[in-house]
Amino acid sequence: MANDFSDKSFLIIDDFADMRSAIRNLLRSLGVVKLEQARDGQDAMTQLAHKSFDVVLCDYNLGPGKDGQQVLEEARYRQLLGVDSLFIMITAENTREMVMSAIEYSPDSYLAKPFTKELLKTRLTKLFALKANLSQVNKALLTKSYGAALKALDGLIEAKPKNLSELIRTKTEILLTAKRYDEAKALFEEVLNARELPWARLGLGKVLFWQKKYAQAQEVFEHLLTLDTNMVAAYDWLAKTQTALQHFAEAEEILKNAARLSPRGLSRQQLLGTLALSNGNSEEAEHAFGRAVALAKHSALNHPSLFAGLAKAKSANGKHVEALKVIGEMVKTFAAEQEAKLYAATATAFVKKGLGDMEGATEALRAAEESMRQMAGTGRPTSLMLEMAKTYAQLGEQDKATALIHEAIANNHDEDELLMEVVQVCREAELDYDAETAIREIQKAVVKTNNDGVRLIRQGQFDDAIQLLSGAADEMPANKTINLNAAKAIIMKMEKLGATREDISAVRYLVERVRGLDPNDWRLGDVIARLRHLAATAS
Amino acid sequence: MDFSDILASSIHDIKNSLGLILGNLDELIDNPDNKIADLRQASLLKHEAQRANSNLIQLLTLYKLGNQQLVVRVTENNLDDFLEEIVANNSAVCEALDVQLSYTCDHDLGGYFDADLVRSVLDSTIGNAHRYAKTQIQVNAVQEDGYLVIRVEDDGGGFPASLCGLLETMAERPQNAQSAGRTQLGLFFASSIAELHQNAGKKGRIRLSNGHNLSGGCFELWLP
Repeated sequence: MANDFSDKSFLIIDDFADMRSAIRNLLRSLGVVKLEQARDGQDAMTQLAHKSFDVVLCDYNLGPGKDGQQVLEEARYRQLLGVDSLFIMITAENTREMVMSAIEYSPDSYLAKPFTKELLKTRLTKLFALKANLSQVNKALLTKSYGAALKALDGLIEAKPKNLSELIRTKTEILLTAKRYDEAKALFEEVLNARELPWARLGLGKVLFWQKKYAQAQEVFEHLLTLDTNMVAAYDWLAKTQTALQHFAEAEEILKNAARLSPRGLSRQQLLGTLALSNGNSEEAEHAFGRAVALAKHSALNHPSLFAGLAKAKSANGKHVEALKVIGEMVKTFAAEQEAKLYAATATAFVKKGLGDMEGATEALRAAEESMRQMAGTGRPTSLMLEMAKTYAQLGEQDKATALIHEAIANNHDEDELLMEVVQVCREAELDYDAETAIREIQKAVVKTNNDGVRLIRQGQFDDAIQLLSGAADEMPANKTINLNAAKAIIMKMEKLGATREDISAVRYLVERVRGLDPNDWRLGDVIARLRHLAATAS
Repeated sequence: MDFSDILASSIHDIKNSLGLILGNLDELIDNPDNKIADLRQASLLKHEAQRANSNLIQLLTLYKLGNQQLVVRVTENNLDDFLEEIVANNSAVCEALDVQLSYTCDHDLGGYFDADLVRSVLDSTIGNAHRYAKTQIQVNAVQEDGYLVIRVEDDGGGFPASLCGLLETMAERPQNAQSAGRTQLGLFFASSIAELHQNAGKKGRIRLSNGHNLSGGCFELWLP
């Protein structure tokens, strides 16, 4: 057999020693020489952090601790897998459904046990060729340069290769990430014209959702579920849509169905818990948060908010002592994190209030305020501000609650999902504050500033435009869109009139601000690329 | 947990054991220092273990289907790639049995189906075919009457006449397939999987015939 794989490094992850050695021997017979093994998820993470592998062969079932999906999640989350490396999930008959319903992170390929070495050889050869083919696209995606990624992808699509449909699917995913909804919609429709395909129909529903055509989106997702009652992703999106329509009880019911079909999805359980709690179904909430905490135990996505949710749900069910124990566990798990201190304090305030201990509750609230102050410099996530607002409202401090809500809206005037959360928080906390009107007004003001800025740029009055938009950015330093718009105005000026050091550093300052708020913002790639280009030409 | 759940989990367990047996057999066969006098014998063992394994997979899949737990994920697949893998996966056993296994199809022929499910249908069909094939098994795929047709053909004695007429209704009435003898599970499974594939009002099906391209039996999987 040819020595095709002798220069590639492999990692085998399986909890079963016999299986590991069977795969090892199989790989050796294919000419593999660089080969490591891991016996469980923890061991795998250590090895993945230590060196980079070309191929990871991971069994889904790894005994107690992390499962294969969690290994993949954490490896991708911590960026331990290079753009050209392959992650292959080995599945058994009884894990097929579980593996397939994981949507957030997917492996490069699945391999059903048992497989022959001839199959593995064919598969690996294909996958290496595919990765090499997509290398340019993946590299562009890494820096979030969606335009470049799409261009590279279009070049590949042009040649109408064998994997054309896969490429088109990849293209729709990139278009959705880059929020180019009209193009995505056209492409989904083109695919659907040739044939009814669930993934394309689902994609079309997503576009409708993002375009705020909620009723139409609802129709699409409901239709998909009549065709296949096991389509977990359709439940998830239908629940999102129902939430957007403020049909909270329906959303909860739908998520319950999805969680029954696919109970291992962490974010789904958290969402269900949150919805159930705000709908007043504390038993359901306790169940969902309980599952979430258990699932997150070995996950890179573990977060104090899960424990806080569980503690509040337990307290709402009268189990105050258990609730305090959960908070204790949270503090232990996230010892050094300021964020955990804040969640511990807000949850404690909730429990103490449930116990009738108003003094203790107020004391906890002040501790939460202190954590919030400590975090002021690092850019406070909106979720924290909302958590804090809820707690203020619960303890009767309405003014402070509404001030935070107002700030949250101003920071996120165009982030629909966060705004929905804001509306939900106001409803749950029974705040005397008309969030929807506030949202409309803030949006109107921002849009006006923006339009004025664009008009000034068109008229060539760059300095006036920059002054206007930078001023707005300084007023709302935590609003990503406004900061990016100011940055873009300066970039456009430089693109027209030439780059200066001063302007470049002004853009950098704004970019850093946005990066601090969300390093993964989808617009950053483009702005940074243009800035880099200008910096190269600066005098 | 009722008996069928226990059955399902035992089947799963047996399947894992078979997986290890298969792996060890592979090593044994590949190891030039092994003490087995007759390599063909080891290959036959492997062949039977693979057959048992694919039967178990079919039982598990049917069990899930019966419990509405089976998720069908139809994707577009390139047939050239797909059949290449199928042939690769079955090539070792065929070689050992002195049966030549090959495939033909258009380089850019695409088809819509659940690759895992169709793979298990084809694996077990090939597993069956090498009991009857004299010298060769051929897998081919074409577009016909708005269906994708995947055929597994051999040059053996062909299917008995009693089998050929039964198939259209078999998924609904499996007891009709009694005369199919030991291939009953395989055919029932194949037609169940075929029927899970639907498009524009058309349903998938299977057909058995004799003497299509090769002289022997021809298993046909029609996917809309």
